[in-house]
Amino acid sequence: MGNKKMTPAQEQYKKLEQKHETKRPVLKNCLKAFLVGGIICVIGQAITYFYIYFFHFTEQTAGNPTVATMIFISMLLTGFGVYDHIGQFAGAGSAVPVTGFGNSVISAAIEHRTEGFVLGVGGNMFKLAGSVILFGVFSAFVVALIKTLLTMWGVL
Amino acid sequence: MMKPFKILAGVFLLMVTGLTISGCNFGKTSEESRVSLVQSVNPEPAAVEGNKGNGLKTAEKVKKDIQAMPAIFDVAVIKGEKEILVAYKVKHMQRFQMKKIEKEINQKLEKNYPKETFIVSSDFKIFIEAIELKEKVKENTYSKKRAEKQLQKIIKLKKELT
Repeated sequence: MGNKKMTPAQEQYKKLEQKHETKRPVLKNCLKAFLVGGIICVIGQAITYFYIYFFHFTEQTAGNPTVATMIFISMLLTGFGVYDHIGQFAGAGSAVPVTGFGNSVISAAIEHRTEGFVLGVGGNMFKLAGSVILFGVFSAFVVALIKTLLTMWGVL
Repeated sequence: MMKPFKILAGVFLLMVTGLTISGCNFGKTSEESRVSLVQSVNPEPAAVEGNKGNGLKTAEKVKKDIQAMPAIFDVAVIKGEKEILVAYKVKHMQRFQMKKIEKEINQKLEKNYPKETFIVSSDFKIFIEAIELKEKVKENTYSKKRAEKQLQKIIKLKKELT
C-alpha cells in the first residue's frame, strides 16, 4: 500500500486522518507491559522456589510444574473474568508470558460455548493456542535436529 | 461485577495463608537452609563418616579451595565414601558465566585431588539438601550408612534432568 502512488484526494484524506488520530502512548504502554510482565515473572519465580523448598525438584526440574501452575492460575483468572482487565491494562505484558497461553485457551472456549461442547468448545479451544503448540513443537524439532547433527559431527 | 473479585480475593487469601502456614510449620526444618535463599550462610564442610578419619579434613581443604574463587560466595562440601559433593552459589552478576565457572571448578578439583571423584552442582536444591545432610551428620542423628544413603539420593537428584 505504501509504495502505491496516491491520488490527491487520498493524500488529503490521509492528512485529515493523521490530524484526528489519537496518539498511542507507546512509552506508557511499554512501561505498563514491562511492570505487569515483570510481576508475573516474580510470581513464577516464587512458585519455582516453592517447588524447590517443599518438593523434590531441583532448579533444573522445577520449571515444568511452575509453568503448569502459572497456566492453571491464568486459566482460573480468565474464567473469573479478571485476566481480561489485566490484559486490557498491560497488553503484551500479560500476553507474552506463558499465562497468555492459558488465557487464549480459556477465552476461546468461553467464546464458543454456545456452539456446543464438541464443535464449539472442543473445536475452537485451540484456535489461538494451536499455533503456539504447532510452532513450539516444530521449532523444538528443528533445534533438536540441529543439536543431534552437531553432536554427530563432533562440534558440540 | 463484585462477585468474581470476591472469589478471586478468597482464592488469593487461601493461597497466601496456605503458603505462610506451610512455610512456618513443615518443609525444611533447619533455619540455615531456610535463610540460605536470601543470604550467605557459609555452611561448614562435613563427612558422612563423622569427625573421625581424614574425610573431614579433605572436605575442609576442598571448601577452602573453592571458596577462594572470586565468582563464588557460598560453598557446601559433603565428603561421602566414594564421592565428594560440592554445591556452590554464584554471585549474581557472574551467573552469566555459569558454564565457565563450573568448568573452572572441575579443572581445579581434578588438578588438586586427582584421586577423588567430585559431584559439582550450582543448583540451589542441591545446596539446601547438602546443608540439611550436614546438620543431620553434625547432630549425630544420622548413622554413617543413613548419611551415605541420603548423599546418594542427593547425587541422584542432581543427575535428574527432566
